[in-house]
Amino acid sequence: MHILKSRPWNLPESSATPEALVFGRRKALGLGAGMLAATPALAQQAGLPPAMRNTRYAPGRAITAEREVTTYNNFYEFGSHKTISAAAQRMPQRPWTVKVEGMVEAPREYDIDDLLRRMPIEERVYRLRCVEAWAMVVPWTGFPLSALLAEVKPLSSARYVVFQTATLPSVMPGLRQSWYPWPYTEGCTIAEAGNELSFMVVGAYGKLLPPQNGGPLRFHQPWKYGFKAGKSLVSIRLTDQRPVSFWEKIQSQEYGFWANVNPAVPHPRWSQAQERMLGTGESVPTMLFNGYGDFVADLYTGLQRERLWA
Amino acid sequence: MRLIGLAVLALAAGLYLGFGSDPLGAVLFRLDPGLLNLVQAVVQRYLLPMLWDNVLLPVLEAPVWVVPLVLGAALTIFGWMRARG
Repeated sequence: MHILKSRPWNLPESSATPEALVFGRRKALGLGAGMLAATPALAQQAGLPPAMRNTRYAPGRAITAEREVTTYNNFYEFGSHKTISAAAQRMPQRPWTVKVEGMVEAPREYDIDDLLRRMPIEERVYRLRCVEAWAMVVPWTGFPLSALLAEVKPLSSARYVVFQTATLPSVMPGLRQSWYPWPYTEGCTIAEAGNELSFMVVGAYGKLLPPQNGGPLRFHQPWKYGFKAGKSLVSIRLTDQRPVSFWEKIQSQEYGFWANVNPAVPHPRWSQAQERMLGTGESVPTMLFNGYGDFVADLYTGLQRERLWA
Repeated sequence: MRLIGLAVLALAAGLYLGFGSDPLGAVLFRLDPGLLNLVQAVVQRYLLPMLWDNVLLPVLEAPVWVVPLVLGAALTIFGWMRARG
Protein backbone atom coordinates (compact mmCIF):
# COMPACT_ATOMS: atom_id res chain seq x y z
CA MET A 1 0.00 0.00 0.00
CA HIS A 2 1.31 3.42 -0.88
CA ILE A 3 1.27 5.62 2.22
CA LEU A 4 1.63 9.38 1.91
CA LYS A 5 3.32 10.80 4.99
CA SER A 6 3.40 14.57 5.37
CA ARG A 7 6.88 15.95 6.05
CA PRO A 8 7.67 19.25 7.74
CA TRP A 9 9.04 20.61 4.47
CA ASN A 10 5.92 19.79 2.45
CA LEU A 11 4.34 22.97 1.11
CA PRO A 12 0.65 23.51 0.46
CA GLU A 13 -0.22 24.59 -3.07
CA SER A 14 -1.35 27.97 -1.76
CA SER A 15 2.21 28.77 -0.62
CA ALA A 16 3.61 28.55 -4.14
CA THR A 17 4.87 31.85 -5.56
CA PRO A 18 3.04 32.94 -8.73
CA GLU A 19 4.87 31.99 -11.95
CA ALA A 20 5.10 35.57 -13.19
CA LEU A 21 6.79 36.70 -10.01
CA VAL A 22 9.28 33.83 -10.12
CA PHE A 23 10.41 34.52 -13.69
CA GLY A 24 10.35 38.26 -13.22
CA ARG A 25 11.84 38.41 -9.76
CA ARG A 26 15.15 39.98 -10.68
CA LYS A 27 13.37 42.73 -12.50
CA ALA A 28 10.89 43.10 -9.66
CA LEU A 29 13.63 43.29 -7.05
CA GLY A 30 15.95 45.34 -9.17
CA LEU A 31 18.72 42.86 -8.54
CA GLY A 32 21.32 41.58 -10.93
CA ALA A 33 22.49 38.75 -8.74
CA GLY A 34 20.92 35.96 -6.70
CA MET A 35 19.16 36.71 -3.43
CA LEU A 36 21.76 35.06 -1.25
CA ALA A 37 24.52 37.18 -2.69
CA ALA A 38 22.43 40.29 -2.20
CA THR A 39 21.74 39.70 1.47
CA PRO A 40 25.10 40.91 2.85
CA ALA A 41 24.89 44.15 0.90
CA LEU A 42 21.37 44.83 2.17
CA ALA A 43 22.47 44.09 5.69
CA GLN A 44 25.50 46.38 5.54
CA GLN A 45 23.34 49.19 4.30
CA ALA A 46 21.02 48.74 7.28
CA GLY A 47 23.79 48.68 9.90
CA LEU A 48 23.95 44.92 10.33
CA PRO A 49 27.12 42.94 9.73
CA PRO A 50 27.05 40.77 6.60
CA ALA A 51 24.84 37.74 7.18
CA MET A 52 24.64 34.75 4.91
CA ARG A 53 21.55 32.58 5.16
CA ASN A 54 22.07 29.28 6.96
CA THR A 55 20.11 26.82 4.83
CA ARG A 56 20.23 24.06 7.44
CA TYR A 57 17.04 25.44 8.95
CA ALA A 58 14.72 25.56 5.93
CA PRO A 59 11.25 26.42 7.26
CA GLY A 60 9.26 24.50 4.64
CA ARG A 61 6.85 27.41 4.32
CA ALA A 62 6.80 30.70 2.52
CA ILE A 63 8.33 33.66 4.34
CA THR A 64 5.69 35.94 5.84
CA ALA A 65 5.51 39.44 4.40
CA GLU A 66 7.67 41.90 6.35
CA ARG A 67 4.79 44.31 6.79
CA GLU A 68 2.72 41.64 8.56
CA VAL A 69 5.54 40.72 10.91
CA THR A 70 6.36 44.31 11.83
CA THR A 71 2.77 45.51 12.37
CA TYR A 72 1.18 42.58 14.23
CA ASN A 73 3.05 42.35 17.50
CA ASN A 74 2.83 41.05 21.03
CA PHE A 75 4.82 43.25 23.40
CA TYR A 76 2.94 43.49 26.67
CA GLU A 77 4.89 46.49 27.95
CA PHE A 78 3.21 48.47 25.16
CA GLY A 79 -0.27 46.96 25.48
CA SER A 80 -2.29 43.82 25.01
CA HIS A 81 -3.41 44.63 21.47
CA LYS A 82 -1.47 43.93 18.27
CA THR A 83 -1.02 47.46 16.96
CA ILE A 84 1.76 48.54 19.29
CA SER A 85 4.32 49.16 16.55
CA ALA A 86 3.92 52.96 16.52
CA ALA A 87 4.21 53.23 20.32
CA ALA A 88 7.27 50.98 20.33
CA GLN A 89 9.14 53.40 18.06
CA ARG A 90 9.62 55.59 21.14
CA MET A 91 11.88 52.97 22.70
CA PRO A 92 15.49 54.06 22.13
CA GLN A 93 17.64 51.39 20.47
CA ARG A 94 21.05 53.02 20.93
CA PRO A 95 22.98 53.15 23.17
CA TRP A 96 21.99 49.71 24.40
CA THR A 97 23.84 47.32 26.66
CA VAL A 98 23.14 43.79 27.77
CA LYS A 99 24.68 42.12 30.81
CA VAL A 100 25.62 38.46 30.76
CA GLU A 101 25.99 37.58 34.40
CA GLY A 102 25.35 35.15 37.20
CA MET A 103 27.01 31.75 37.30
CA VAL A 104 29.67 32.37 34.67
CA GLU A 105 33.45 32.60 34.82
CA ALA A 106 33.64 35.85 32.90
CA PRO A 107 30.57 38.07 33.42
CA ARG A 108 30.49 41.13 31.24
CA GLU A 109 28.36 43.90 29.86
CA TYR A 110 28.20 44.24 26.08
CA ASP A 111 27.43 47.28 24.03
CA ILE A 112 25.02 46.00 21.37
CA ASP A 113 27.21 47.12 18.46
CA ASP A 114 30.28 45.55 20.05
CA LEU A 115 28.28 42.36 20.44
CA LEU A 116 27.36 42.44 16.75
CA ARG A 117 31.04 42.69 15.85
CA ARG A 118 32.08 39.83 18.13
CA MET A 119 29.44 37.24 17.31
CA PRO A 120 29.16 34.95 14.24
CA ILE A 121 26.24 36.66 12.52
CA GLU A 122 24.05 34.63 10.18
CA GLU A 123 20.51 34.58 8.85
CA ARG A 124 18.06 31.82 9.72
CA VAL A 125 14.53 31.45 8.47
CA TYR A 126 12.50 30.11 11.39
CA ARG A 127 8.87 29.37 11.96
CA LEU A 128 7.32 31.17 14.92
CA ARG A 129 4.22 29.75 16.58
CA CYS A 130 2.34 32.00 18.98
CA VAL A 131 0.43 30.44 21.85
CA GLU A 132 -2.57 32.39 20.50
CA ALA A 133 -2.66 29.99 17.51
CA TRP A 134 -1.21 32.26 14.83
CA ALA A 135 2.12 31.72 13.13
CA MET A 136 4.65 33.37 10.86
CA VAL A 137 7.90 32.59 9.07
CA VAL A 138 10.68 35.15 9.52
CA PRO A 139 14.23 35.55 8.20
CA TRP A 140 15.98 36.48 11.44
CA THR A 141 19.55 37.75 11.61
CA GLY A 142 21.51 36.87 14.70
CA PHE A 143 23.86 34.43 16.32
CA PRO A 144 23.59 31.18 18.28
CA LEU A 145 23.19 31.69 22.02
CA SER A 146 25.86 29.03 22.45
CA ALA A 147 28.42 31.41 20.90
CA LEU A 148 27.65 34.03 23.54
CA LEU A 149 27.74 31.49 26.35
CA ALA A 150 31.12 30.25 25.13
CA GLU A 151 32.51 33.77 25.72
CA VAL A 152 31.34 34.04 29.31
CA LYS A 153 32.02 30.40 30.21
CA PRO A 154 29.11 29.07 32.31
CA LEU A 155 30.00 27.41 35.60
CA SER A 156 29.23 23.71 35.79
CA SER A 157 26.67 24.49 38.49
CA ALA A 158 24.60 26.72 36.15
CA ARG A 159 21.35 24.97 35.19
CA TYR A 160 19.10 27.71 33.83
CA VAL A 161 19.34 30.85 31.72
CA VAL A 162 17.09 33.81 32.58
CA PHE A 163 16.31 36.55 30.05
CA GLN A 164 15.18 39.95 31.25
CA THR A 165 13.49 42.63 29.16
CA ALA A 166 14.19 46.34 29.57
CA THR A 167 11.92 48.38 31.84
CA LEU A 168 11.49 51.88 30.43
CA PRO A 169 8.48 53.46 32.16
CA SER A 170 8.71 56.65 30.12
CA VAL A 171 7.94 54.79 26.89
CA MET A 172 6.21 51.59 28.07
CA PRO A 173 2.64 52.33 29.21
CA GLY A 174 2.12 48.76 30.37
CA LEU A 175 4.51 49.32 33.25
CA ARG A 176 1.89 51.59 34.83
CA GLN A 177 0.25 48.35 35.87
CA SER A 178 2.46 48.15 38.92
CA TRP A 179 0.76 44.99 40.20
CA TYR A 180 2.35 42.84 37.51
CA PRO A 181 5.70 41.16 38.20
CA TRP A 182 7.84 43.39 35.98
CA PRO A 183 10.39 43.15 34.49
CA TYR A 184 9.32 40.61 31.87
CA THR A 185 11.46 37.56 32.48
CA GLU A 186 11.66 34.26 30.69
CA GLY A 187 13.98 31.32 30.99
CA CYS A 188 15.08 27.94 29.78
CA THR A 189 17.40 25.16 30.88
CA ILE A 190 21.08 25.34 30.11
CA ALA A 191 20.62 22.33 27.80
CA GLU A 192 17.91 24.14 25.84
CA ALA A 193 20.06 27.26 25.69
CA GLY A 194 22.92 25.23 24.25
CA ASN A 195 20.78 23.66 21.55
CA GLU A 196 21.82 24.75 18.09
CA LEU A 197 18.40 26.28 17.36
CA SER A 198 18.55 28.75 20.27
CA PHE A 199 19.12 32.03 18.53
CA MET A 200 19.83 35.59 19.65
CA VAL A 201 18.10 37.86 17.15
CA VAL A 202 19.43 41.29 16.15
CA GLY A 203 17.77 41.70 12.75
CA ALA A 204 14.94 40.67 10.47
CA TYR A 205 14.52 40.88 6.70
CA GLY A 206 18.11 42.05 6.38
CA LYS A 207 17.58 45.08 8.62
CA LEU A 208 18.17 45.88 12.25
CA LEU A 209 15.46 44.33 14.42
CA PRO A 210 12.72 46.94 14.90
CA PRO A 211 11.68 47.80 18.46
CA GLN A 212 8.20 46.35 18.11
CA ASN A 213 9.74 42.95 17.34
CA GLY A 214 12.06 43.13 20.34
CA GLY A 215 14.94 45.21 19.02
CA PRO A 216 17.74 45.61 19.42
CA LEU A 217 18.16 42.11 20.88
CA ARG A 218 15.70 39.29 21.45
CA PHE A 219 15.77 35.57 21.95
CA HIS A 220 14.05 32.88 19.89
CA GLN A 221 13.62 29.16 20.35
CA PRO A 222 11.41 28.14 17.42
CA TRP A 223 10.11 24.93 18.99
CA LYS A 224 8.49 26.84 21.85
CA TYR A 225 5.52 29.17 21.92
CA GLY A 226 6.48 32.74 21.14
CA PHE A 227 5.94 34.17 24.62
CA LYS A 228 9.07 32.30 25.72
CA ALA A 229 11.14 34.65 23.60
CA GLY A 230 12.24 37.62 25.66
CA LYS A 231 12.37 40.90 23.73
CA SER A 232 14.57 43.99 24.06
CA LEU A 233 16.90 42.17 26.42
CA VAL A 234 19.09 43.92 28.98
CA SER A 235 20.19 40.92 31.03
CA ILE A 236 21.00 37.28 30.47
CA ARG A 237 21.65 35.56 33.79
CA LEU A 238 22.81 32.03 34.47
CA THR A 239 21.56 30.44 37.66
CA ASP A 240 21.01 27.15 39.43
CA GLN A 241 17.43 28.12 40.34
CA ARG A 242 14.57 27.49 37.93
CA PRO A 243 13.08 30.90 37.18
CA VAL A 244 9.39 31.66 37.49
CA SER A 245 8.65 33.64 34.38
CA PHE A 246 6.41 36.70 34.03
CA TRP A 247 3.43 34.84 32.58
CA GLU A 248 3.93 31.87 34.86
CA LYS A 249 3.45 34.19 37.84
CA ILE A 250 0.24 35.56 36.36
CA GLN A 251 -1.38 32.48 34.78
CA SER A 252 0.70 29.39 35.38
CA GLN A 253 -2.02 27.06 34.14
CA GLU A 254 -1.94 28.73 30.73
CA TYR A 255 1.71 29.74 30.35
CA GLY A 256 4.17 27.35 31.93
CA PHE A 257 7.93 27.08 32.07
CA TRP A 258 8.46 24.64 29.20
CA ALA A 259 5.80 25.72 26.69
CA ASN A 260 6.90 23.43 23.87
CA VAL A 261 4.57 23.49 20.88
CA ASN A 262 2.24 20.51 20.80
CA PRO A 263 -0.93 20.38 18.68
CA ALA A 264 -2.39 17.64 20.86
CA VAL A 265 -2.38 19.70 24.05
CA PRO A 266 -4.97 22.48 23.91
CA HIS A 267 -4.67 25.81 25.66
CA PRO A 268 -7.31 25.94 28.43
CA ARG A 269 -9.41 28.23 26.24
CA TRP A 270 -8.66 27.12 22.66
CA SER A 271 -7.28 24.33 20.51
CA GLN A 272 -3.63 24.25 19.44
CA ALA A 273 -4.22 21.78 16.60
CA GLN A 274 -4.18 24.42 13.85
CA GLU A 275 -2.44 27.73 13.32
CA ARG A 276 -3.41 30.75 11.25
CA MET A 277 -0.63 32.03 9.02
CA LEU A 278 -0.13 35.79 9.23
CA GLY A 279 -0.66 37.44 5.90
CA THR A 280 -2.45 34.66 4.06
CA GLY A 281 -4.88 33.76 6.85
CA GLU A 282 -4.45 30.15 5.83
CA SER A 283 -5.11 27.59 8.54
CA VAL A 284 -2.46 24.86 8.67
CA PRO A 285 -1.89 21.95 11.05
CA THR A 286 0.45 22.68 13.95
CA MET A 287 3.41 20.34 14.26
CA LEU A 288 4.90 18.81 17.40
CA PHE A 289 7.81 21.01 18.54
CA ASN A 290 6.68 23.33 15.73
CA GLY A 291 8.30 20.89 13.31
CA TYR A 292 11.74 21.02 14.96
CA GLY A 293 11.48 17.69 16.76
CA ASP A 294 14.54 16.26 14.99
CA PHE A 295 16.63 18.97 16.64
CA VAL A 296 15.15 19.11 20.12
CA ALA A 297 13.13 16.02 21.09
CA ASP A 298 16.16 14.52 22.83
CA LEU A 299 16.23 17.42 25.26
CA TYR A 300 13.12 16.10 26.95
CA THR A 301 14.05 12.46 27.43
CA GLY A 302 13.20 11.49 30.99
CA LEU A 303 11.13 14.62 31.62
CA GLN A 304 7.73 13.08 30.97
CA ARG A 305 6.56 14.05 34.46
CA GLU A 306 7.10 17.73 33.67
CA ARG A 307 4.35 19.82 32.11
CA LEU A 308 6.26 20.12 28.84
CA TRP A 309 3.51 21.45 26.60
CA ALA A 310 2.02 24.54 28.20
CA MET B 1 -31.04 55.02 47.47
CA ARG B 2 -29.54 56.87 50.39
CA LEU B 3 -29.20 53.58 52.26
CA ILE B 4 -27.42 51.98 49.28
CA GLY B 5 -25.13 55.01 49.10
CA LEU B 6 -24.30 54.72 52.79
CA ALA B 7 -23.62 51.00 52.35
CA VAL B 8 -21.21 51.70 49.49
CA LEU B 9 -19.51 54.37 51.64
CA ALA B 10 -19.15 51.78 54.39
CA LEU B 11 -17.58 49.46 51.81
CA ALA B 12 -15.10 52.22 50.91
CA ALA B 13 -14.19 52.56 54.59
CA GLY B 14 -13.80 48.80 54.92
CA LEU B 15 -11.53 48.65 51.88
CA TYR B 16 -9.42 51.47 53.32
CA LEU B 17 -9.06 49.58 56.59
CA GLY B 18 -8.30 46.33 54.80
CA PHE B 19 -6.02 47.47 51.98
CA GLY B 20 -4.94 51.00 52.86
CA SER B 21 -4.14 52.94 49.71
CA ASP B 22 -3.22 49.96 47.53
CA PRO B 23 -4.31 50.50 43.92
CA LEU B 24 -7.56 48.86 42.88
CA GLY B 25 -5.62 46.94 40.21
CA ALA B 26 -3.24 45.50 42.79
CA VAL B 27 -6.10 44.31 44.97
CA LEU B 28 -7.89 42.70 42.01
CA PHE B 29 -4.61 41.08 40.94
CA ARG B 30 -4.22 39.60 44.43
CA LEU B 31 -7.74 38.20 44.31
CA ASP B 32 -7.47 36.81 40.76
CA PRO B 33 -4.08 37.18 38.99
CA GLY B 34 -5.46 36.44 35.53
CA LEU B 35 -8.54 38.66 35.66
CA LEU B 36 -7.12 42.02 34.58
CA ASN B 37 -5.05 40.49 31.79
CA LEU B 38 -8.21 38.96 30.33
CA VAL B 39 -10.20 42.19 30.69
CA GLN B 40 -7.38 44.21 29.13
CA ALA B 41 -7.17 41.82 26.18
CA VAL B 42 -10.92 42.07 25.54
CA VAL B 43 -10.95 45.88 25.84
CA GLN B 44 -7.83 46.56 23.79
CA ARG B 45 -8.32 43.93 21.09
CA TYR B 46 -12.07 44.09 20.58
CA LEU B 47 -13.10 47.57 21.74
CA LEU B 48 -10.54 50.36 21.78
CA PRO B 49 -6.93 50.35 23.03
CA MET B 50 -7.19 53.91 24.32
CA LEU B 51 -10.21 52.97 26.46
CA TRP B 52 -7.89 50.88 28.59
CA ASP B 53 -4.96 53.31 28.69
CA ASN B 54 -6.93 56.50 29.30
CA VAL B 55 -10.05 55.44 31.18
CA LEU B 56 -9.81 52.08 32.90
CA LEU B 57 -6.12 52.17 33.80
CA PRO B 58 -6.36 55.47 35.74
CA VAL B 59 -9.25 53.93 37.73
CA LEU B 60 -7.20 50.81 38.43
CA GLU B 61 -4.22 52.91 39.49
CA ALA B 62 -6.32 54.83 42.05
CA PRO B 63 -6.53 53.63 45.68
CA VAL B 64 -8.97 50.76 46.07
CA TRP B 65 -11.45 52.86 48.10
CA VAL B 66 -11.78 55.72 45.59
CA VAL B 67 -14.40 54.14 43.32
CA PRO B 68 -16.79 53.11 46.15
CA LEU B 69 -16.20 56.46 47.87
CA VAL B 70 -17.22 58.45 44.78
CA LEU B 71 -20.07 56.11 43.95
CA GLY B 72 -21.33 56.01 47.54
CA ALA B 73 -21.15 59.77 47.89
CA ALA B 74 -23.01 60.30 44.62
CA LEU B 75 -25.76 57.85 45.58
CA THR B 76 -26.11 59.37 49.04
CA ILE B 77 -26.34 62.94 47.75
CA PHE B 78 -28.72 61.96 44.93
CA GLY B 79 -30.93 60.04 47.40
CA TRP B 80 -30.96 62.96 49.82
CA MET B 81 -31.93 65.40 47.05
CA ARG B 82 -34.74 63.13 45.89
CA ALA B 83 -36.05 62.75 49.45
CA ARG B 84 -36.20 66.53 49.77
CA GLY B 85 -38.32 66.63 46.60
